Amino acid sequence: MVWFKRSQLLIILCLTILVLGSMKLTEFDLSKFSDFQNMGDFLSKWFPMNTESLPYLFQESLLTIAIAFLGSLFGLIIALPLSFVAARNTSRNRFVYSMTRFLLSFLRSVPEFVFGLILLTTLGLGPFPAVIAIVLHNIGVLGKLISELIEAADKGPMEAMSAVGASKWIGNLFAVLPQIWPNVLSQFFYRFEVAIRTSLILGLIGGGGIGQQLFIHFKTFQYQLVSVDVLLIMIMVILVDYIGGKIREKVI
Amino acid sequence: MIEFENVSVTYPGAKEPALTDVNITFQKGEFVCVLGRSGAGKSTFIRCINGLQPVSEGYVKWGDKTLSEMTHKETLEVRRKTGMIFQHFNLIPRMSVVQNILTGLFGYKKSYENLLGLFKPTDRLQALEAIEQVELTVEPTRRVEKLSGGQKQRVAIARALVQNPKVFLGDEPVASLDPGTAERIFQLLKETHVKRNLVSIINVHDVVLAKKFATRIIALKNGKLVFDGAPKDFDETVYAEIYNHL
Repeated sequence: MVWFKRSQLLIILCLTILVLGSMKLTEFDLSKFSDFQNMGDFLSKWFPMNTESLPYLFQESLLTIAIAFLGSLFGLIIALPLSFVAARNTSRNRFVYSMTRFLLSFLRSVPEFVFGLILLTTLGLGPFPAVIAIVLHNIGVLGKLISELIEAADKGPMEAMSAVGASKWIGNLFAVLPQIWPNVLSQFFYRFEVAIRTSLILGLIGGGGIGQQLFIHFKTFQYQLVSVDVLLIMIMVILVDYIGGKIREKVI
Repeated sequence: MIEFENVSVTYPGAKEPALTDVNITFQKGEFVCVLGRSGAGKSTFIRCINGLQPVSEGYVKWGDKTLSEMTHKETLEVRRKTGMIFQHFNLIPRMSVVQNILTGLFGYKKSYENLLGLFKPTDRLQALEAIEQVELTVEPTRRVEKLSGGQKQRVAIARALVQNPKVFLGDEPVASLDPGTAERIFQLLKETHVKRNLVSIINVHDVVLAKKFATRIIALKNGKLVFDGAPKDFDETVYAEIYNHL
Protein backbone atom coordinates (compact mmCIF):
# COMPACT_ATOMS: atom_id res chain seq x y z
CA MET A 1 0.00 0.00 0.00
CA VAL A 2 2.79 2.39 -0.86
CA TRP A 3 0.50 4.70 -2.82
CA PHE A 4 -1.81 5.50 0.06
CA LYS A 5 -1.35 7.31 3.32
CA ARG A 6 -3.42 6.32 6.32
CA SER A 7 -5.30 9.63 6.13
CA GLN A 8 -6.30 8.84 2.54
CA LEU A 9 -7.70 5.47 3.61
CA LEU A 10 -9.76 7.31 6.18
CA ILE A 11 -11.13 9.57 3.43
CA ILE A 12 -12.07 6.52 1.36
CA LEU A 13 -13.85 5.07 4.38
CA CYS A 14 -15.77 8.31 4.95
CA LEU A 15 -16.71 8.48 1.27
CA THR A 16 -18.01 4.91 1.38
CA ILE A 17 -20.19 5.74 4.37
CA LEU A 18 -21.52 8.86 2.60
CA VAL A 19 -22.29 6.91 -0.56
CA LEU A 20 -24.12 4.15 1.34
CA GLY A 21 -26.07 6.69 3.39
CA SER A 22 -27.08 8.65 0.30
CA MET A 23 -28.17 5.46 -1.47
CA LYS A 24 -30.39 4.60 1.46
CA LEU A 25 -31.96 8.07 1.49
CA THR A 26 -32.58 8.06 -2.26
CA GLU A 27 -33.87 4.46 -2.33
CA PHE A 28 -31.14 3.76 -4.84
CA ASP A 29 -31.79 0.23 -6.06
CA LEU A 30 -30.75 -0.92 -9.53
CA SER A 31 -32.84 -4.08 -9.25
CA LYS A 32 -35.91 -1.89 -9.77
CA PHE A 33 -34.91 -1.69 -13.41
CA SER A 34 -36.26 -5.19 -13.85
CA ASP A 35 -39.58 -3.49 -14.58
CA PHE A 36 -38.11 -1.59 -17.50
CA GLN A 37 -40.79 -3.00 -19.76
CA ASN A 38 -43.18 -0.40 -18.34
CA MET A 39 -40.85 2.29 -19.59
CA GLY A 40 -40.82 0.71 -23.00
CA ASP A 41 -44.61 0.62 -23.07
CA PHE A 42 -44.75 4.22 -22.01
CA LEU A 43 -42.20 5.42 -24.56
CA SER A 44 -43.94 3.54 -27.35
CA LYS A 45 -46.97 5.80 -26.74
CA TRP A 46 -44.77 8.77 -27.76
CA PHE A 47 -44.70 7.59 -31.34
CA PRO A 48 -45.60 8.30 -34.06
CA MET A 49 -44.99 11.95 -33.43
CA ASN A 50 -47.94 14.26 -33.88
CA THR A 51 -46.50 16.82 -36.29
CA GLU A 52 -49.76 18.67 -36.89
CA SER A 53 -49.02 21.23 -34.19
CA LEU A 54 -45.43 21.63 -35.24
CA PRO A 55 -45.79 25.25 -36.48
CA TYR A 56 -47.39 26.27 -33.19
CA LEU A 57 -44.83 24.39 -31.09
CA PHE A 58 -42.05 25.90 -33.15
CA GLN A 59 -43.41 29.32 -32.27
CA GLU A 60 -43.43 28.35 -28.60
CA SER A 61 -39.82 27.22 -28.96
CA LEU A 62 -38.90 30.67 -30.24
CA LEU A 63 -40.54 32.12 -27.15
CA THR A 64 -38.42 29.79 -25.00
CA ILE A 65 -35.27 30.91 -26.77
CA ALA A 66 -36.29 34.54 -26.33
CA ILE A 67 -36.84 34.03 -22.59
CA ALA A 68 -33.48 32.31 -22.22
CA PHE A 69 -31.67 34.85 -24.39
CA LEU A 70 -32.95 37.93 -22.59
CA GLY A 71 -32.55 36.23 -19.23
CA SER A 72 -28.90 35.41 -19.78
CA LEU A 73 -27.96 38.56 -21.76
CA PHE A 74 -29.47 41.03 -19.28
CA GLY A 75 -27.93 38.91 -16.53
CA LEU A 76 -24.52 39.31 -18.18
CA ILE A 77 -24.91 43.06 -18.72
CA ILE A 78 -25.73 43.63 -15.07
CA ALA A 79 -23.24 41.07 -13.76
CA LEU A 80 -20.26 42.45 -15.69
CA PRO A 81 -19.83 45.74 -13.79
CA LEU A 82 -20.78 44.06 -10.51
CA SER A 83 -18.09 41.44 -10.95
CA PHE A 84 -15.39 44.14 -11.07
CA VAL A 85 -16.62 45.30 -7.68
CA ALA A 86 -16.77 41.70 -6.45
CA ALA A 87 -13.20 40.84 -7.47
CA ARG A 88 -10.52 41.33 -4.84
CA ASN A 89 -7.97 42.86 -7.20
CA THR A 90 -10.21 45.47 -8.81
CA SER A 91 -12.51 46.33 -5.92
CA ARG A 92 -11.59 49.53 -4.17
CA ASN A 93 -13.54 49.27 -1.00
CA ARG A 94 -13.46 46.25 1.29
CA PHE A 95 -17.01 46.85 2.52
CA VAL A 96 -18.55 47.29 -0.94
CA TYR A 97 -16.64 44.21 -2.06
CA SER A 98 -18.09 42.08 0.74
CA MET A 99 -21.60 43.41 0.23
CA THR A 100 -21.48 42.69 -3.50
CA ARG A 101 -20.19 39.19 -2.86
CA PHE A 102 -23.01 38.67 -0.41
CA LEU A 103 -25.59 39.99 -2.87
CA LEU A 104 -24.27 37.68 -5.59
CA SER A 105 -24.37 34.60 -3.40
CA PHE A 106 -27.87 35.54 -2.24
CA LEU A 107 -29.07 35.77 -5.86
CA ARG A 108 -27.39 32.47 -6.59
CA SER A 109 -28.94 30.72 -3.63
CA VAL A 110 -32.51 31.47 -4.72
CA PRO A 111 -33.62 29.09 -7.50
CA GLU A 112 -35.26 30.66 -10.56
CA PHE A 113 -38.38 28.69 -9.75
CA VAL A 114 -38.73 30.50 -6.43
CA PHE A 115 -38.07 33.90 -8.01
CA GLY A 116 -40.74 32.99 -10.56
CA LEU A 117 -43.29 32.10 -7.88
CA ILE A 118 -42.64 35.37 -6.05
CA LEU A 119 -42.78 37.47 -9.22
CA LEU A 120 -46.06 35.85 -10.27
CA THR A 121 -47.78 37.83 -7.53
CA THR A 122 -46.96 41.17 -9.14
CA LEU A 123 -46.29 40.34 -12.78
CA GLY A 124 -48.94 37.69 -13.29
CA LEU A 125 -48.59 34.65 -15.51
CA GLY A 126 -46.51 34.74 -18.67
CA PRO A 127 -42.98 34.89 -20.02
CA PHE A 128 -42.03 38.26 -18.49
CA PRO A 129 -41.67 37.00 -14.88
CA ALA A 130 -39.73 34.05 -16.27
CA VAL A 131 -37.24 36.43 -17.92
CA ILE A 132 -36.80 38.42 -14.72
CA ALA A 133 -36.35 35.26 -12.65
CA ILE A 134 -33.61 34.05 -14.98
CA VAL A 135 -31.95 37.48 -15.03
CA LEU A 136 -31.81 37.60 -11.23
CA HIS A 137 -30.31 34.14 -10.84
CA ASN A 138 -27.85 34.74 -13.69
CA ILE A 139 -26.59 37.96 -12.13
CA GLY A 140 -25.56 35.83 -9.16
CA VAL A 141 -23.98 33.06 -11.20
CA LEU A 142 -22.23 35.14 -13.87
CA GLY A 143 -21.14 37.73 -11.29
CA LYS A 144 -19.34 35.06 -9.33
CA LEU A 145 -17.79 33.34 -12.35
CA ILE A 146 -16.62 36.59 -13.97
CA SER A 147 -15.23 38.00 -10.73
CA GLU A 148 -13.14 34.84 -10.43
CA LEU A 149 -11.90 35.31 -13.99
CA ILE A 150 -10.95 38.89 -13.09
CA GLU A 151 -9.06 37.71 -10.01
CA ALA A 152 -7.10 35.23 -12.11
CA ALA A 153 -6.21 37.79 -14.82
CA ASP A 154 -2.57 38.69 -15.44
CA LYS A 155 -1.82 41.78 -13.40
CA GLY A 156 0.89 43.04 -15.75
CA PRO A 157 -1.45 45.03 -18.02
CA MET A 158 -3.13 46.54 -14.95
CA GLU A 159 0.21 47.76 -13.73
CA ALA A 160 0.95 49.20 -17.17
CA MET A 161 -2.36 51.06 -17.15
CA SER A 162 -1.57 52.51 -13.72
CA ALA A 163 1.83 53.53 -15.06
CA VAL A 164 0.39 55.53 -17.97
CA GLY A 165 -1.72 57.51 -15.50
CA ALA A 166 -5.10 56.08 -16.48
CA SER A 167 -7.88 56.41 -13.94
CA LYS A 168 -8.32 53.24 -11.96
CA TRP A 169 -11.59 52.02 -13.45
CA ILE A 170 -10.53 52.70 -17.03
CA GLY A 171 -7.23 50.95 -16.39
CA ASN A 172 -8.92 47.91 -14.87
CA LEU A 173 -11.46 47.71 -17.64
CA PHE A 174 -8.94 47.86 -20.46
CA ALA A 175 -6.36 45.67 -18.76
CA VAL A 176 -8.78 42.94 -17.73
CA LEU A 177 -11.70 42.74 -20.14
CA PRO A 178 -9.75 41.80 -23.30
CA GLN A 179 -7.97 39.11 -21.28
CA ILE A 180 -11.09 37.45 -19.97
CA TRP A 181 -13.47 38.11 -22.88
CA PRO A 182 -13.34 34.64 -24.53
CA ASN A 183 -14.00 33.02 -21.17
CA VAL A 184 -16.80 35.46 -20.42
CA LEU A 185 -18.40 34.50 -23.71
CA SER A 186 -18.15 30.80 -23.03
CA GLN A 187 -19.68 31.28 -19.57
CA PHE A 188 -22.45 33.30 -21.19
CA PHE A 189 -23.26 30.66 -23.76
CA TYR A 190 -23.24 27.96 -21.12
CA ARG A 191 -25.65 30.02 -19.01
CA PHE A 192 -27.80 30.58 -22.12
CA GLU A 193 -28.01 26.83 -22.58
CA VAL A 194 -28.88 26.36 -18.91
CA ALA A 195 -31.49 29.12 -19.20
CA ILE A 196 -33.27 27.17 -21.93
CA ARG A 197 -33.66 24.24 -19.57
CA THR A 198 -34.65 26.57 -16.74
CA SER A 199 -37.32 28.23 -18.82
CA LEU A 200 -38.83 24.75 -19.28
CA ILE A 201 -39.19 24.42 -15.52
CA LEU A 202 -40.65 27.91 -15.37
CA GLY A 203 -43.24 26.70 -17.87
CA LEU A 204 -44.63 24.66 -14.99
CA ILE A 205 -45.69 27.86 -13.26
CA GLY A 206 -47.08 29.48 -16.38
CA GLY A 207 -43.87 30.95 -17.76
CA GLY A 208 -44.93 30.12 -21.29
CA GLY A 209 -42.88 28.64 -24.10
CA ILE A 210 -42.26 25.06 -25.02
CA GLY A 211 -41.84 24.11 -21.34
CA GLN A 212 -45.41 25.01 -20.58
CA GLN A 213 -46.56 23.03 -23.64
CA LEU A 214 -44.55 20.04 -22.48
CA PHE A 215 -46.17 20.26 -19.07
CA ILE A 216 -49.68 20.59 -20.50
CA HIS A 217 -49.20 17.75 -23.00
CA PHE A 218 -47.83 15.52 -20.29
CA LYS A 219 -50.67 16.23 -17.90
CA THR A 220 -53.24 15.63 -20.62
CA PHE A 221 -51.63 12.36 -21.79
CA GLN A 222 -50.85 13.72 -25.28
CA TYR A 223 -47.62 11.79 -25.47
CA GLN A 224 -47.32 12.07 -29.25
CA LEU A 225 -46.96 15.81 -28.70
CA VAL A 226 -44.61 15.33 -25.76
CA SER A 227 -42.16 13.63 -28.10
CA VAL A 228 -42.28 16.64 -30.45
CA ASP A 229 -41.65 18.97 -27.50
CA VAL A 230 -38.68 16.96 -26.34
CA LEU A 231 -37.22 16.85 -29.84
CA LEU A 232 -37.55 20.63 -30.22
CA ILE A 233 -35.88 21.16 -26.86
CA MET A 234 -32.97 18.95 -27.82
CA ILE A 235 -32.53 20.78 -31.11
CA MET A 236 -32.56 24.15 -29.33
CA VAL A 237 -29.93 23.16 -26.79
CA ILE A 238 -27.65 21.68 -29.42
CA LEU A 239 -28.10 24.73 -31.65
CA VAL A 240 -27.20 27.18 -28.91
CA ASP A 241 -24.16 25.10 -28.01
CA TYR A 242 -23.07 25.00 -31.65
CA ILE A 243 -23.58 28.70 -32.35
CA GLY A 244 -21.87 29.60 -29.08
CA GLY A 245 -18.90 27.49 -30.00
CA LYS A 246 -18.65 29.11 -33.44
CA ILE A 247 -18.82 32.64 -32.02
CA ARG A 248 -16.19 31.81 -29.42
CA GLU A 249 -13.90 30.41 -32.09
CA LYS A 250 -14.18 33.67 -34.01
CA VAL A 251 -13.38 35.73 -30.93
CA ILE A 252 -10.26 33.81 -29.90
CA MET B 1 14.71 66.39 -10.38
CA ILE B 2 13.81 63.11 -8.62
CA GLU B 3 15.01 62.64 -5.09
CA PHE B 4 14.84 59.75 -2.64
CA GLU B 5 15.08 60.75 1.00
CA ASN B 6 15.62 57.91 3.49
CA VAL B 7 13.24 55.69 1.54
CA SER B 8 12.38 52.30 3.00
CA VAL B 9 9.78 49.82 1.84
CA THR B 10 8.57 46.88 3.87
CA TYR B 11 5.97 44.61 2.33
CA PRO B 12 3.11 43.58 4.59
CA GLY B 13 4.00 40.40 6.44
CA ALA B 14 7.68 40.53 5.43
CA LYS B 15 10.36 40.45 8.14
CA GLU B 16 13.07 42.22 6.18
CA PRO B 17 12.46 45.48 4.33
CA ALA B 18 12.69 45.26 0.55
CA LEU B 19 14.35 48.65 0.42
CA THR B 20 16.31 50.20 3.28
CA ASP B 21 17.10 53.86 3.78
CA VAL B 22 17.81 54.80 0.18
CA ASN B 23 19.06 58.34 -0.51
CA ILE B 24 19.70 59.35 -4.09
CA THR B 25 19.03 62.15 -6.57
CA PHE B 26 18.57 61.89 -10.32
CA GLN B 27 19.13 64.75 -12.74
CA LYS B 28 17.85 65.44 -16.22
CA GLY B 29 19.89 63.74 -18.92
CA GLU B 30 21.10 60.87 -16.77
CA PHE B 31 20.79 57.34 -18.15
CA VAL B 32 20.95 55.24 -15.02
CA CYS B 33 21.21 51.48 -14.90
CA VAL B 34 20.25 49.74 -11.69
CA LEU B 35 22.12 46.52 -11.03
CA GLY B 36 21.68 43.88 -8.39
CA ARG B 37 20.80 40.25 -7.88
CA SER B 38 17.23 39.00 -8.10
CA GLY B 39 15.39 40.05 -4.97
CA ALA B 40 17.81 42.89 -4.25
CA GLY B 41 14.97 45.41 -4.41
CA LYS B 42 15.42 46.72 -7.97
CA SER B 43 11.75 46.37 -8.96
CA THR B 44 10.60 47.89 -5.69
CA PHE B 45 13.00 50.78 -6.21
CA ILE B 46 11.76 51.50 -9.73
CA ARG B 47 8.12 51.33 -8.65
CA CYS B 48 8.68 53.84 -5.85
CA ILE B 49 9.61 56.46 -8.42
CA ASN B 50 6.13 56.74 -9.97
CA GLY B 51 4.28 55.64 -6.86
CA LEU B 52 3.19 52.22 -8.10
CA GLN B 53 4.79 51.09 -4.85
CA PRO B 54 4.04 53.32 -1.86
CA VAL B 55 7.00 53.90 0.46
CA SER B 56 6.85 52.78 4.08
CA GLU B 57 9.26 55.43 5.32
CA GLY B 58 10.95 58.46 3.84
CA TYR B 59 10.02 60.56 0.83
CA VAL B 60 10.20 60.42 -2.93
CA LYS B 61 10.30 63.95 -4.30
CA TRP B 62 9.51 65.16 -7.78
CA GLY B 63 11.00 68.67 -7.89
CA ASP B 64 9.76 70.25 -4.70
CA LYS B 65 6.71 68.02 -4.35
CA THR B 66 6.54 64.86 -2.29
CA LEU B 67 4.89 61.93 -4.03
CA SER B 68 3.07 60.61 -0.97
CA GLU B 69 1.56 64.04 -0.26
CA MET B 70 0.28 64.64 -3.77
CA THR B 71 -3.40 64.67 -4.62
CA HIS B 72 -4.74 61.83 -6.74
CA LYS B 73 -4.71 64.12 -9.76
CA GLU B 74 -1.09 65.12 -9.21
CA THR B 75 -0.06 61.48 -8.85
CA LEU B 76 -1.75 60.66 -12.15
CA GLU B 77 0.12 63.56 -13.72
CA VAL B 78 3.44 62.20 -12.45
CA ARG B 79 2.60 58.83 -13.97
CA ARG B 80 1.53 60.40 -17.21
CA LYS B 81 4.94 62.08 -17.45
CA THR B 82 6.66 58.77 -16.74
CA GLY B 83 6.96 56.19 -19.46
CA MET B 84 7.43 52.73 -18.00
CA ILE B 85 8.39 49.51 -19.69
CA PHE B 86 8.37 46.05 -18.21
CA GLN B 87 10.04 42.66 -18.54
CA HIS B 88 6.86 41.00 -19.76
CA PHE B 89 5.86 44.03 -21.85
CA ASN B 90 2.44 44.23 -20.17
CA LEU B 91 0.63 44.98 -23.39
CA ILE B 92 -3.10 44.52 -23.56
CA PRO B 93 -3.78 41.21 -25.26
CA ARG B 94 -6.28 40.88 -28.08
CA MET B 95 -5.81 44.53 -29.00
CA SER B 96 -3.86 45.79 -31.98
CA VAL B 97 -0.47 47.48 -32.05
CA VAL B 98 -1.94 50.93 -32.60
CA GLN B 99 -4.69 50.43 -30.03
CA ASN B 100 -2.08 49.45 -27.46
CA ILE B 101 -0.01 52.51 -28.27
CA LEU B 102 -3.04 54.79 -27.94
CA THR B 103 -3.59 53.54 -24.38
CA GLY B 104 -0.46 55.56 -23.60
CA LEU B 105 -2.66 58.64 -23.98
CA PHE B 106 -5.13 57.49 -21.30
CA GLY B 107 -3.58 59.85 -18.76
CA TYR B 108 -4.33 62.82 -21.02
CA LYS B 109 -7.95 62.05 -21.74
CA LYS B 110 -11.24 62.07 -19.96
CA SER B 111 -12.66 58.71 -18.92
CA TYR B 112 -15.51 58.74 -21.42
CA GLU B 113 -13.11 59.55 -24.26
CA ASN B 114 -10.96 56.58 -23.27
CA LEU B 115 -13.97 54.32 -22.87
CA LEU B 116 -15.40 55.12 -26.28
CA GLY B 117 -12.04 55.42 -28.01
CA LEU B 118 -12.60 59.04 -28.98
CA PHE B 119 -9.13 59.86 -30.20
CA LYS B 120 -8.31 62.81 -32.44
CA PRO B 121 -6.62 62.40 -35.82
CA THR B 122 -3.55 64.05 -34.26
CA ASP B 123 -3.51 61.32 -31.60
CA ARG B 124 -3.49 58.65 -34.27
CA LEU B 125 -0.75 60.48 -36.09
CA GLN B 126 1.26 60.57 -32.89
CA ALA B 127 0.81 56.81 -32.49
CA LEU B 128 1.97 56.20 -36.06
CA GLU B 129 4.98 58.45 -35.51
CA ALA B 130 5.84 56.47 -32.40
CA ILE B 131 5.69 53.25 -34.44
CA GLU B 132 8.16 54.80 -36.83
CA GLN B 133 10.44 55.96 -34.05
CA VAL B 134 10.71 52.53 -32.51
CA GLU B 135 11.33 51.10 -35.99
CA LEU B 136 8.43 48.74 -35.81
CA THR B 137 7.79 47.24 -39.21
CA VAL B 138 4.57 45.33 -38.53
CA GLU B 139 1.06 46.28 -39.54
CA PRO B 140 -0.37 48.73 -36.98
CA THR B 141 -3.63 46.79 -36.99
CA ARG B 142 -1.95 43.54 -36.08
CA ARG B 143 -2.80 41.97 -32.74
CA VAL B 144 0.03 42.23 -30.24
CA GLU B 145 0.04 38.60 -29.17
CA LYS B 146 1.16 37.68 -32.68
CA LEU B 147 4.40 39.67 -32.33
CA SER B 148 7.84 38.50 -31.25
CA GLY B 149 9.30 39.55 -27.90
CA GLY B 150 11.42 42.30 -29.40
CA GLN B 151 8.48 43.66 -31.38
CA LYS B 152 6.30 43.61 -28.28
CA GLN B 153 8.85 45.61 -26.36
CA ARG B 154 8.97 48.13 -29.22
CA VAL B 155 5.20 48.50 -28.97
CA ALA B 156 5.58 49.04 -25.23
CA ILE B 157 8.22 51.71 -25.84
CA ALA B 158 5.96 53.37 -28.41
CA ARG B 159 3.18 53.37 -25.84
CA ALA B 160 5.54 55.10 -23.43
CA LEU B 161 6.60 57.60 -26.12
CA VAL B 162 3.09 58.89 -26.83
CA GLN B 163 2.91 59.77 -23.13
CA ASN B 164 5.44 62.43 -24.06
CA PRO B 165 7.43 61.45 -21.00
CA LYS B 166 10.03 63.36 -19.02
CA VAL B 167 11.16 60.20 -17.29
CA PHE B 168 11.71 56.68 -18.57
CA LEU B 169 11.53 53.75 -16.18
CA GLY B 170 12.41 50.22 -17.13
CA ASP B 171 11.86 47.14 -15.02
CA GLU B 172 14.12 44.54 -16.62
CA PRO B 173 12.98 45.58 -20.10
CA VAL B 174 15.34 43.22 -21.90
CA ALA B 175 15.38 40.26 -19.52
CA SER B 176 13.11 38.13 -21.68
CA LEU B 177 14.81 38.97 -24.96
CA ASP B 178 17.71 37.31 -26.73
CA PRO B 179 21.08 39.10 -26.43
CA GLY B 180 21.03 40.67 -29.89
CA THR B 181 17.48 42.00 -29.51
CA ALA B 182 18.30 43.14 -25.98
CA GLU B 183 21.13 45.29 -27.24
CA ARG B 184 19.03 46.79 -30.04
CA ILE B 185 16.27 47.65 -27.56
CA PHE B 186 18.83 49.30 -25.29
CA GLN B 187 20.19 51.21 -28.26
CA LEU B 188 16.68 52.43 -29.00
CA LEU B 189 16.11 53.45 -25.40
CA LYS B 190 19.37 55.37 -25.35
CA GLU B 191 18.65 57.17 -28.62
CA THR B 192 15.19 58.16 -27.46
CA HIS B 193 16.65 59.24 -24.15
CA VAL B 194 19.17 61.54 -25.83
CA LYS B 195 16.69 62.89 -28.38
CA ARG B 196 14.15 63.84 -25.75
CA ASN B 197 16.57 64.72 -22.96
CA LEU B 198 14.96 62.46 -20.37
CA VAL B 199 15.86 60.94 -17.06
CA SER B 200 16.04 57.20 -17.63
CA ILE B 201 16.28 54.71 -14.80
CA ILE B 202 16.44 51.11 -15.90
CA ASN B 203 16.83 47.84 -14.06
CA VAL B 204 19.04 45.39 -15.82
CA HIS B 205 20.71 42.06 -15.16
CA ASP B 206 23.30 42.38 -17.87
CA VAL B 207 26.34 44.23 -16.52
CA VAL B 208 27.91 44.51 -19.98
CA LEU B 209 24.85 46.30 -21.34
CA ALA B 210 24.76 48.58 -18.32
CA LYS B 211 28.42 49.53 -18.72
CA LYS B 212 27.98 50.13 -22.41
CA PHE B 213 24.96 52.43 -22.25
CA ALA B 214 24.66 53.93 -18.78
CA THR B 215 25.96 57.33 -17.79
CA ARG B 216 25.62 56.29 -14.18
CA ILE B 217 25.32 52.93 -12.49
CA ILE B 218 23.78 52.24 -9.15
CA ALA B 219 23.61 48.88 -7.44
CA LEU B 220 21.38 47.45 -4.77
CA LYS B 221 22.12 44.59 -2.43
CA ASN B 222 19.57 43.31 0.07
CA GLY B 223 17.60 46.49 -0.34
CA LYS B 224 20.54 48.80 0.33
CA LEU B 225 22.23 51.11 -2.10
CA VAL B 226 25.78 49.79 -2.26
CA PHE B 227 27.18 51.46 -5.36
CA ASP B 228 26.59 54.75 -7.11
CA GLY B 229 29.08 55.91 -9.67
CA ALA B 230 30.32 56.13 -13.20
CA PRO B 231 30.26 52.96 -15.35
CA LYS B 232 34.05 52.94 -15.46
CA ASP B 233 34.19 52.68 -11.67
CA PHE B 234 32.03 49.59 -11.70
CA ASP B 235 34.92 47.13 -11.69
CA GLU B 236 35.39 43.53 -10.71
CA THR B 237 35.64 44.20 -7.00
CA VAL B 238 32.29 45.98 -7.04
CA TYR B 239 30.86 43.22 -9.19
CA ALA B 240 32.01 40.56 -6.76
CA GLU B 241 30.61 42.52 -3.85
CA ILE B 242 27.18 42.85 -5.45
CA TYR B 243 26.74 39.44 -6.97
CA ASN B 244 28.46 37.58 -4.16
CA HIS B 245 26.22 35.12 -2.42
CA LEU B 246 27.36 36.13 1.02
